[in-house]
Amino acid sequence: MTTTTRPTYGELLQANNTMRTSGEETYYLGITRTVQESKFFPVSAYVMLGYLNAFYRYPTLLRKIEAQMSPEDIADRVRNTNSKLKSMGTNWCMPNFYLLGREMLINMGVIRPQDAAEDVVYVLDFWRRYQLAWRRDDAHVTNLEGGHRSQVFPERRIQVMHADAFRCAEGDPLHEATINFTAAVSQYAVLIACESRVCMTNHGPYKIADDEEMLVREFFDLGEGDLPWLDGIAADLPFSRLTLTTSIKDTHFYIVDDWGSYESRPEYKAENLCAVGLYTSDDLSETHTPVGMGSPEELTATLNRYADMLKETTTKLWERFASYGREQLMDAGAMTYFAIIRDFAHVAGVYEHEDWFTIDERADRFRRLLNDEYGNEILGALFVPLSLNSHQWHEYQMMRHSDLPKRTYSPLPYTLLTDDDGDVVTSVGDTLGRGITYLPPKEDRYWTTRGVMTAAELNTATREFRPRLFSTEFRYLDDAWVKYNYDTELADSLYRVDQEQSRLLAGKGAGLRRDDVERLRTS
Amino acid sequence: MAKLYTDTDKFESDGGPPIVEAFHSAVKDLVRRKLDESGVPWSEFVFGKEYELVTLEEVEKIEQAVLESGYRYQTSAVISYVERPDAYKPIAGAEATSGSFSFEDPEAVVGVADGSRQQRGQGDNVVEHRENVVGTARYYRSIDDVMAGLREGVPDGTVAIIDDSGGTLTAPIIERFAGIVCAGGTVRSHLGILSREYGIPCLMNSKISGITSGDTIEIGVSGAAKTTEAYQEGREMSVPVWKHER
Repeated sequence: MTTTTRPTYGELLQANNTMRTSGEETYYLGITRTVQESKFFPVSAYVMLGYLNAFYRYPTLLRKIEAQMSPEDIADRVRNTNSKLKSMGTNWCMPNFYLLGREMLINMGVIRPQDAAEDVVYVLDFWRRYQLAWRRDDAHVTNLEGGHRSQVFPERRIQVMHADAFRCAEGDPLHEATINFTAAVSQYAVLIACESRVCMTNHGPYKIADDEEMLVREFFDLGEGDLPWLDGIAADLPFSRLTLTTSIKDTHFYIVDDWGSYESRPEYKAENLCAVGLYTSDDLSETHTPVGMGSPEELTATLNRYADMLKETTTKLWERFASYGREQLMDAGAMTYFAIIRDFAHVAGVYEHEDWFTIDERADRFRRLLNDEYGNEILGALFVPLSLNSHQWHEYQMMRHSDLPKRTYSPLPYTLLTDDDGDVVTSVGDTLGRGITYLPPKEDRYWTTRGVMTAAELNTATREFRPRLFSTEFRYLDDAWVKYNYDTELADSLYRVDQEQSRLLAGKGAGLRRDDVERLRTS
Repeated sequence: MAKLYTDTDKFESDGGPPIVEAFHSAVKDLVRRKLDESGVPWSEFVFGKEYELVTLEEVEKIEQAVLESGYRYQTSAVISYVERPDAYKPIAGAEATSGSFSFEDPEAVVGVADGSRQQRGQGDNVVEHRENVVGTARYYRSIDDVMAGLREGVPDGTVAIIDDSGGTLTAPIIERFAGIVCAGGTVRSHLGILSREYGIPCLMNSKISGITSGDTIEIGVSGAAKTTEAYQEGREMSVPVWKHER
């Protein structure tokens, strides 16, 4: 059954604005960030399969999620923990994966720009509502809108990370352990994500002192959980999400983009790393929990031990991937991309593995076209040259960044408001197609901060857990409220939730300024 | 035959890559044909009848026709050629023994030998280091090469020469490299990012010539790192690669 609800004028205007700005940033990121080809994974081919899957499945799956929990509620629920929903997965991937799949189908003649209009409006609206909510302290819908800056934490969380980070300097054991760990976890994150960067992000910078900025680095999906290829491989890892705070001296991060990549002046050098902290958290924890943060020596040992575990697991996983056939590598990669927003379902407590880790038959029918060459060429054409027919615009146009008469995405036509020929179908349909996968069956084991659970147990636990910071008492208390109410008991109570596990700030409340935190740290 | 909505396009260029244009043209023909055969209007076809008519089997026929014309696809992932040698072109040089193979990029800058070293190319520097790196060139181009590195170890002082800008092929052995020369990507490709994390001197987008495994080479990583702005402006900003005289 298909739906035929036509979007309003306002909805069309909003959707077309999102498409235009997202397309321009996609072009910029494509030029400045990456040229990616792999001899290991058929990257471009699996990327396109993931995009097609997003087009056919996101609308249905997002409606299923919203029936349980609104995007604003999900945002407030995950605000105070490490979540993949606060990374490139939502900053860039969600709308663009969906739209790139749509654009491919338009160029194949399978759909028209006006087809699935209700879906397009819905997916982009869900995305905008979620982004506005989780980024409310920053108040920009993307890092792009904030001038390529990603200052998303509230003051109370930054203060804890500022206070508890241990000082380090080039050549000392903590500094070396941090470099060792960062390299190992980054390498592992790229491998579990099948040659993509979707399992890690950076945000910030947060100004710690005139000559010091903090960049927060977060890593996701590290342990046994949703990714079937980690079954039995990552069982020994005692974490699945990690947050590494790094303070850098004499370096200004002038770009943190929606892919979580950064640029700095002068260029980032490890020798300028001057403080570090480590945390874990997930959808079942109140806030970030310190890991090995009792002393610099404990943190050094923890980082080195974790680095060793990650390197060992990297080798095991590499050997597993080396034994996979092409369709298995295609599935793993496509699902890594497509399922990047599956944590919406986890947080809402409606996660079903088959929803997110199978390829819909409506997308899968094009699999045979996705050879390496076509994959590279279509992906390239969609990002930068914009050489397909749908991209071409009138000669007076000068696209941002290129000055060429092109657009990345086909706008929804406003004739949707007036056409009465009955020729418009506004949704791909409200049920998923049959799911296909070449991967081995997923083992029903999910690592959490409360131990290993089954998917059903995890859904129940997530639905039942209501963090205090998500309660009606606290959830609407943002930095703007604190500015005028910091001396109230309510503000102190709010800050004390974040400070509960802090080595230096436990119980201190809402009255501290940045210099007070620094004095506590050095006293 | 049925006319598709996008058949009327004021700014149509058909300027996409040839393989893309060929596939898209064939899929459009398939859609036109199935729309005709179905006898239903577009509103009953899209997201409806087309799911039954534009099938995996029909799409496979498109691919088969391309192959029957003699066309063979460029290979990126080694597995693609291994599984379908009838559909893909072999990777250039993949069959060569590692001892004799060398990248021969026509854009490599080749200098005059000065008795101790000769420039044999250039690349984009990921991070500016205090000193250049001198080491022994070794090619790592396949899963078998990396397996050998895992099994036998990577000799000290190895400067890995790679044509894969990704961060997965060399994952289990990367930290043993003294330096990296990558023939693809940019400084922000995954291999570039990971080399920065490991503190391994690395050149990306390298164009080199006349360097074989076992040669002593020097990479000019004390030069400036290539910036985002340089990429955006299309500005050349590379550092040299030298081969030392034996």
